[in-house]
Amino acid sequence: MPAKKRFRWAAIPVIAVLMATLTGCTTQEFSRGWLPGVTGVTNHTERIVSLWAGSWIVLYAVGIIAWGLMFWAIIVYRRRKGDAEIPAQLRYNMPIETLFTVIPFILVIGFFALTTRDMDIIERPVASDYRIEVVGKQWAWDFNYTNDNVYDSGIQLQDVTEEAEKELPTLYLPVNKSIQFDLVSRDVIHSFWVIDFLYKKDVFPGRVNKMYLTPQVIGDYKGKCAELCGEYHSMMLFNVKVVSQEDYDARMKELADMGNVGQLTADPNDPNNINRNNNLPGDNPESEG
Amino acid sequence: MNSVKKSKGRIVVDWLTTTDHKKIGYLYLITSFVYFMIAGVMALLIRAQLAMPGLTIVQTKEQYNQLFTMHGTIMLLMFATPLFAGFANVLMPVQIGAPDVAFPRLNAIAYWLYFFGSFIAVAGFFTPQGAASFGWFAYAPLSSTTFSPGLGGDLWVFGLALSGFGTILGGVNFITTIITMRAPGMTMFRMPIFTWNTLVTSILVIMAFPPLAAALFALGADRKFGAHIFDPANGGPMLWQHLFWFFGHPEVYILALPFFGIVSEIFPVFSRKPVFGYRTLIYATIAIAALSMTVWAHHMYVTGSVLLGFFAFTTMLIAVPTGVKIFNWIGTMWRGSITFETPMLWSLGFLTTFIFGGLTGVILSSPALDFHLSDSYFVVAHFHYVVFGTVVFAMFAGFYFWWPKFTGKMLNERLGKIHFWLLFFGFHMTFLIQHWLGVKGMPRRYYTYLEGDGFTWMNQVSTVGSLLLGLSMLPFLWNVWVTSRKGVKVEMNDPWGFGRSLEWATASPLPRHNFTSIPRIRSESPAFDLNHPEYASPDAKAPLKKGKK
Repeated sequence: MPAKKRFRWAAIPVIAVLMATLTGCTTQEFSRGWLPGVTGVTNHTERIVSLWAGSWIVLYAVGIIAWGLMFWAIIVYRRRKGDAEIPAQLRYNMPIETLFTVIPFILVIGFFALTTRDMDIIERPVASDYRIEVVGKQWAWDFNYTNDNVYDSGIQLQDVTEEAEKELPTLYLPVNKSIQFDLVSRDVIHSFWVIDFLYKKDVFPGRVNKMYLTPQVIGDYKGKCAELCGEYHSMMLFNVKVVSQEDYDARMKELADMGNVGQLTADPNDPNNINRNNNLPGDNPESEG
Repeated sequence: MNSVKKSKGRIVVDWLTTTDHKKIGYLYLITSFVYFMIAGVMALLIRAQLAMPGLTIVQTKEQYNQLFTMHGTIMLLMFATPLFAGFANVLMPVQIGAPDVAFPRLNAIAYWLYFFGSFIAVAGFFTPQGAASFGWFAYAPLSSTTFSPGLGGDLWVFGLALSGFGTILGGVNFITTIITMRAPGMTMFRMPIFTWNTLVTSILVIMAFPPLAAALFALGADRKFGAHIFDPANGGPMLWQHLFWFFGHPEVYILALPFFGIVSEIFPVFSRKPVFGYRTLIYATIAIAALSMTVWAHHMYVTGSVLLGFFAFTTMLIAVPTGVKIFNWIGTMWRGSITFETPMLWSLGFLTTFIFGGLTGVILSSPALDFHLSDSYFVVAHFHYVVFGTVVFAMFAGFYFWWPKFTGKMLNERLGKIHFWLLFFGFHMTFLIQHWLGVKGMPRRYYTYLEGDGFTWMNQVSTVGSLLLGLSMLPFLWNVWVTSRKGVKVEMNDPWGFGRSLEWATASPLPRHNFTSIPRIRSESPAFDLNHPEYASPDAKAPLKKGKK
């Protein structure tokens, strides 16, 4: 059966090529473990990146041991011509079994300790410079800048092009200022995810969820709704602009000049809110499907 | 046996009215496999839609939502769960030396509840607004009539409730059978691992499915009778999530454990050794089942209202017994004499895939990392590695392994190997890349994505992979057809030569009431002890003691 054997070995180069293509990326991406964003996007991201990278190093080691032992057993103990009909009927080996129960347990304790340390810091409420209220709605976002008593109201994505992307509701954040987000929903559950911040939190109706962070790098970021919220879930996108204090203040003034003074609410019956049935400008999405 | 050729009508009536555990088992296996292919076609549509940004292969977003909702619902509740019932029905009574299950008519009712319940849930596709579209976990208040008014949602709720009762009754039946109907000599610690896992899974079923039934009836009351159980004004959204995941997480292990059982039967046969650490494997199964009842809120880290530390710790702990199982399977091959017939190939495919699913599971168990990954394609990739890796790979392993017991004929080995490599390559091409997609920020359940997202090429790799995966069904279906037409009859009890549990000590296909005689059961490998007495375990070789000590 030489043909069959060759076929079996063919799996190894296939897997090797697959690994090489999939891992063939830049060193900068590699050192972040392919997590998006640049160094220090928020005060929490480096903590997450190092936990992520460290965890993967240990897990890959575990995986290589497990896969390695498996392939080693397959190769070394494959049945050859002239082998005894039946090998020794080994049933258990107490030291080995104890070993592969205790070592993973120790690893788990370590992983839990590191996770708890980071998670506590990320989740800890802090007294913040700015408080921004994010209102999720089918299928866009409203932002209340409470410190400046202005608001911005968005509509959902109209097309997949880069031009359409610029029309999305845009959240402005001042750089190096600590921010408290109050997340509320006007209808169903949404989830507020700024990709490069490596953090999301669900947006519930009837409850206020809070998150705290400090953006540290000026730039444009993408945000997406991450919890299924109905038909146009994939259109419920937004942009985030982290800007200097001057640019931020200018934007606040701009909003005030546009007449966006006051605050929008999570009440679905509030006449001041723009909801899914008055999604102007742009085509009325209700007529599309 | 010496059956006279029956008319076609008689055969149909016979199958519709049967209470024979094997026939009911085959009904489960066939029905669930049909659902597997239906939901597989839905998956291909989903992947086709995502091949480029802005496509409209699925015409509307609403239809797309229906597709992934029903894909998930069917795969979990109409394919994988009843597939367990199918394998357990056919094999578990034989493995313990019983002629049937404890409650044969209850068994039939359970099947028909599943059959009609599933049909009702899927029948939403035939209503004007289409099937349910609120995702298979139906989060309130999206699943309320305010946001999802269609009849499809009602059919989904009540169909699943009905089908759920079938699952519960099946679980009760399996537990009773295993406790009361074991053959003389078949002590608990001589039961095959598959039977052990059936027992533990059934216990999980009767703990997890009643809360689901209750939650579904409550949701039905909200939808049809204007109750306000899941109203946001009284914290309903969180209540639903707790109830749903209190079912939903054990459900994952209801899917996994029986299929762990299948590969635990196969590794020893093709390594020609007993399973390594028999008792440790059983304790690991029990530990996984116990822990699985305590981890449900790890699906809810990003809700901001669960005790993160507790659920993170219990979730991470599950890695320990799972790792024990992996190393026990490897230990079974260690110092063995391994051959690579199709059942073994599929089992090794399972192990390779499952190890990676386990690693990404550990990553997701950490809230600090899950905040980024939750509800992204990383999660989609993770659970396909775990669930597809377990259920589908082990299902085919089981099919190739027990086909002679089911039909009296062996499936073609060459077609089986083509089937395996196509599916293996297609699967990894589809799902490996999705980890990167998720890390880069693609949320799950998205109808489309932006040109500027940079997700396009990764989605295309995945879509091409899914096509390969779909094509891999062809050699299998061809194999089943060819075998039934031209396959050579197996004239022996144990065509693999090194079978260990009781099903290999009786005829192929399994005879009516399973046994004409039962061998002495003095270890967990009675068939092996019978056929290879010189290698039998020390217990089996000991002379029978007269009377009690």
